[in-house]
Amino acid sequence: MKVGPTLQGGLRIDVENPLDWMVLRCIPYDARGGGIDLADRLSAPMAKDEGIDDWREFVLPDLQDGFNTQVEIIEKALAGSGDDDEPGQVFIMKEDAELWYGGLNQARLALEERYGFSDEDPSTMTPGKRSAWFRSQFYLHVQSVLLDHVMR
Amino acid sequence: MSDTLTELKEDVSLDVPWNVVVYDDPVNLMGYVTWVLMKIFGYPENRAAAMMLEVHKRGRSIVWSGEREKAEFYAEQLQAHQLKTSLEKAE
Repeated sequence: MKVGPTLQGGLRIDVENPLDWMVLRCIPYDARGGGIDLADRLSAPMAKDEGIDDWREFVLPDLQDGFNTQVEIIEKALAGSGDDDEPGQVFIMKEDAELWYGGLNQARLALEERYGFSDEDPSTMTPGKRSAWFRSQFYLHVQSVLLDHVMR
Repeated sequence: MSDTLTELKEDVSLDVPWNVVVYDDPVNLMGYVTWVLMKIFGYPENRAAAMMLEVHKRGRSIVWSGEREKAEFYAEQLQAHQLKTSLEKAE
């Protein structure tokens, strides 16, 4: 798999084999896999704030909608792509870059929550954990390219 | 018949400012945190980077102080960018 910026200011992912497609299809799966209430987690330090009930009632639903949209935009981009597992391309438009970044962040957060990679050596991990670690590293790489070449 | 004398007293004091606090987490990239602070508050890169480093090293940083309503707006923006955030009264 190759990832690089496009002349239009977006990002192109060159998918070379069935395994690449599988990794890409894991993004929404991983993002939803942790069962994490991200909006609630992000506002956890506000738990003792006098306005926390209003925050939960009025702000958190909007945040959750935004986080769901991030995952849905990735699903939409991948829908129908690579059904034949042949080499292909996935384009991330400049205007969708933040949504992709957020969706990838959710996927990494869920993997970190589930596996707690810390500084563990991948060669000592179980196969399942090592596979998750590699996915997390790939998501991190795409995020870095998005941040450095598309969002800035 | 008695007269009632009504006295009105006004007590004015300055409102205590509120701090917007960002916390460290294991996932967000340092460059991303800097980028978010620049985007939301319009900070120059060196100031945003200094706040990001404080988050990274001390676990938290006060990124803005001011009136409550605006602090809430900023906190919501930061949380929408997946940064763990709280509000606290300035001491």
